[in-house]
Amino acid sequence: MTKKFFGLNLFGLAAFLTLSFLPINDTNASIKIGASMPLTGNFAVPGSKHLEGYEMCVDIINRHGGWLDQEVELVVSDNRSDTETAIAQYERFINVDKVDLTFGTFSSKLTFPISPILAKYNAIHPIPSGGALRIFSQGHKNLFYFQASAAEYVGTNMVGLINDLVEDKPTKAAVVHADDFFANSIATGLLGEKVVMPGSGELVEDLAPGYIRAAGIELVYHEQWPEEGFSDWLVLANSIKNSGADLVIGLMASPEEATQFTRALKTVRHNPKHILLSQGTQKEFYEGLGDDANGVIIMSAYHPKAPFKGSLAGMQMNNADFAAEYHITTGNKPDEDVAITFALCQGIDQAVRATGSVDDQTIMDWLHARTPEDPVKTVLGNFAWDDRGLPLGKSFLMVQWQDGGNLEFVYPTNEFDTAEIVDPKPQW
Amino acid sequence: MFIIQTIILGLCLGFVYALMATGLTLIFGVMRIVNLAHPIFILVGAFAAYYLFVIFGMDPIFAIPLCAATTAILGAITYKLVFEKDAGSQTYSEMTVLLTFGTAMVLDGTLSYLFKNTQRITSPPYATDAIFIGDIFLPTAQLYSGLISIALIVGLGLFLKFSKLGIAIRATSLSRVNAELVGIDVKFVCIFSFVLGCALAGAAGSLVSFVFSFFPAKHWEWIAILMSLVVLGGMGSILGVVISAAILSVMASLVGAFIAPAWSTMVFFVALFVMLLVKPHGMFGKYLE
Repeated sequence: MTKKFFGLNLFGLAAFLTLSFLPINDTNASIKIGASMPLTGNFAVPGSKHLEGYEMCVDIINRHGGWLDQEVELVVSDNRSDTETAIAQYERFINVDKVDLTFGTFSSKLTFPISPILAKYNAIHPIPSGGALRIFSQGHKNLFYFQASAAEYVGTNMVGLINDLVEDKPTKAAVVHADDFFANSIATGLLGEKVVMPGSGELVEDLAPGYIRAAGIELVYHEQWPEEGFSDWLVLANSIKNSGADLVIGLMASPEEATQFTRALKTVRHNPKHILLSQGTQKEFYEGLGDDANGVIIMSAYHPKAPFKGSLAGMQMNNADFAAEYHITTGNKPDEDVAITFALCQGIDQAVRATGSVDDQTIMDWLHARTPEDPVKTVLGNFAWDDRGLPLGKSFLMVQWQDGGNLEFVYPTNEFDTAEIVDPKPQW
Repeated sequence: MFIIQTIILGLCLGFVYALMATGLTLIFGVMRIVNLAHPIFILVGAFAAYYLFVIFGMDPIFAIPLCAATTAILGAITYKLVFEKDAGSQTYSEMTVLLTFGTAMVLDGTLSYLFKNTQRITSPPYATDAIFIGDIFLPTAQLYSGLISIALIVGLGLFLKFSKLGIAIRATSLSRVNAELVGIDVKFVCIFSFVLGCALAGAAGSLVSFVFSFFPAKHWEWIAILMSLVVLGGMGSILGVVISAAILSVMASLVGAFIAPAWSTMVFFVALFVMLLVKPHGMFGKYLE
C-alpha cells in the first residue's frame, strides 16, 4: 500500500468518525408516515386514488404548519398489489425508514397479511379499505377501520334497501363475485356462510341463514370469477340471464370489473328489477356506461352531499369543504376512494393535535377512548371503535346513478336527506 | 341454444385474442424475440384510440390506422434503442426475454405517469349493443372487432405469401443465415417485422379499447394468455395462433358457462402446460430451437 493511498484511507476514516459523532440537528426533521399503496397491478385504480386522498390531506396539514411544528412527510412505496411486497415495505418503513406512523393500504387482500406485522411492532394500523371480518378477529388492538362496517355485514343495507324501498320486490337473486378477500366476505354475509380464519379454520362467526334467504329471496345463481385475468364477462352475464334472476348482486374489488360486468349485462339485454354492486361510484364507471348506469345501486362509504362535519389541521374541514377543495384542485367531484383515505388522515390528525404526540401507543389510546358522543369527525362521518377496531353504529350508504350522471344517496333514509329511488331500474 | 350462444361468445372473443397475439408470433417467427412487451404495445394503441375517441370523437374502428402508426413508430424507436445492436448474438432469444420485460416495465411506468392509473374504456354506440337473431345474440363490439381482426390477419397472410417483402420475411424466419446468403437485407427485414408486429399490436389495441376496460398495468394479465395462444399454435405460426385462439376461447367460455367462471381462465394455462409437455413446438410449429 502506498503512503498516499494509506493517507487517503486515514483521512476518510477520520472524516467518517468526525461526522458520525457530530450532533444531529433535528429541528428541521419531518414527521414521517409510511404508506404502502398498490399503485400498479390489479388495485392500481383505487390504490392511486387512495394515495390522492392521503397526499391531499398531508398537503393541507403542511400548508397550516404541519404537526408539532414539523413538516409531515408521506413515505410512499408501490406494493404492485402484491401481498409479499406490502409486508416487506411495512417492515422497511419501521426498521429502515424509521417512520413515526403508518397509514393502511387498499383492500382486504393486502391488509390481512400486513396486520400481524404492524401489530408485532405495536404500530398503529388505521385501515382505509380492508373490511373483511377476519382482519378484525385476530385480536390485534392497533386496528382502526375508517369505513362503515365489516364487509360481511354490508348485506344488511343491500337487502334492507330492497325491503324498505322497492315496491315490486325481486324474488330470485343472482350473486356473483370476484374471488377476492373483500368480495368473498360480502358474499359470505349475503349467503349465510361461516366466517373462518384462514389457516387455523377457527370459526369467527356463523352468518346463517344469510341476508338473502332471511329476506325471502331465492338464490338462483351463485358464481365467482378469478381474481385476475377474467375476460368472459358476456358468458357470465348470459348465464345470469339464463337463470332468470330479477335481482343481480355483483361484488368486486375494483371499479374496472364493475364497468365490464354492467356493460355485459346490458349487451345480453338482461333487465333485472335491480342491480346492486360493491363498486361503481367512481366517475370512470359512469364514463364507461354513460346513461346505461342509470338505476344501478352501489354500496358506498361516501357521498359528496352527506352533511358530515369534520376538522383538519385545527380548522373546519366538513365534507362540503373537502368536496369544494377537491373540485378546485382537480376540477372533479371526489369519489369514495379519495374520501376514505382523506378521512383516515383527518382522524389521525385529530389524534396528533389532541395528544401533542406522534407516539403510536399514545395515539391508539386516544382513538380507543373515542365514543359515539365524543368521536373523531371526518368527511365520512363520526368514528368511534369497538375493541376489534370496527366502527360503532355506522352503516354503509347506498347510492344510485340517476339521470345525467348524478350519484344520488338513497339509503338508509334515517340519517339525512335522500333522493327518491329509481324503482325498478330502467330497462336497457 | 345456450351452448350455441356460449360457443358464439367464445369465438367472438377468440378472434380478438388472435389479433392481439398475431404480432407476437410474427416477431418471434422472424426475429426470435420473445416479446413480453407486446401487450404493453397493445395498451399504447388502446390509449391512442381512447384519446382520439374522447378528444376528437373518432370511432375506434376508424382510428385503427392512427393507432397502428403510433405503435409502429414507438416500435421502430424501441427496436433501434434496445434490440438492434445484439441482433446477431448467440443468446439473442434469451436476452430478449429480459430486454422486453424491461421495456414493458418502462412503458408501463411511462403510461402510468402520463395517463394515471385510471381505468379507461371507449364507448362507441355499438360497444354494448347486440344483434338478436331469435334467441341468439351477437355482441356487436366483439363481432366487429372479431371480423376486423380476421380481415387484418388475412391481409397479413396475403402480404406474407405474395409480396416480395413478405417472402423475404418468411425466408428470414426459416433461416436468417440462408436469407442473407441469397441477398435479403435481413437487418431491414428484422426491423420491418418488428415494426409490423407493433403496428398489429396498435390495431389490436384500438379494437380492445371498446371490448375490455384497461389501465397501464393491464398488460400483465394479457401476456400469459397471449403466450399460451402462441405456444399452442406453434411459435411463429400465424394460422396456429388463429386456430388456438378460437379453440381456447370457446373452451374457456364453455368451462365458464357449464363448470364455473372461476375455472375459465385456467383453460389457457392448462393448455400452455400440457402443450409444453406433450408437443412443445405447438400445433403448427415446424421446429423448436
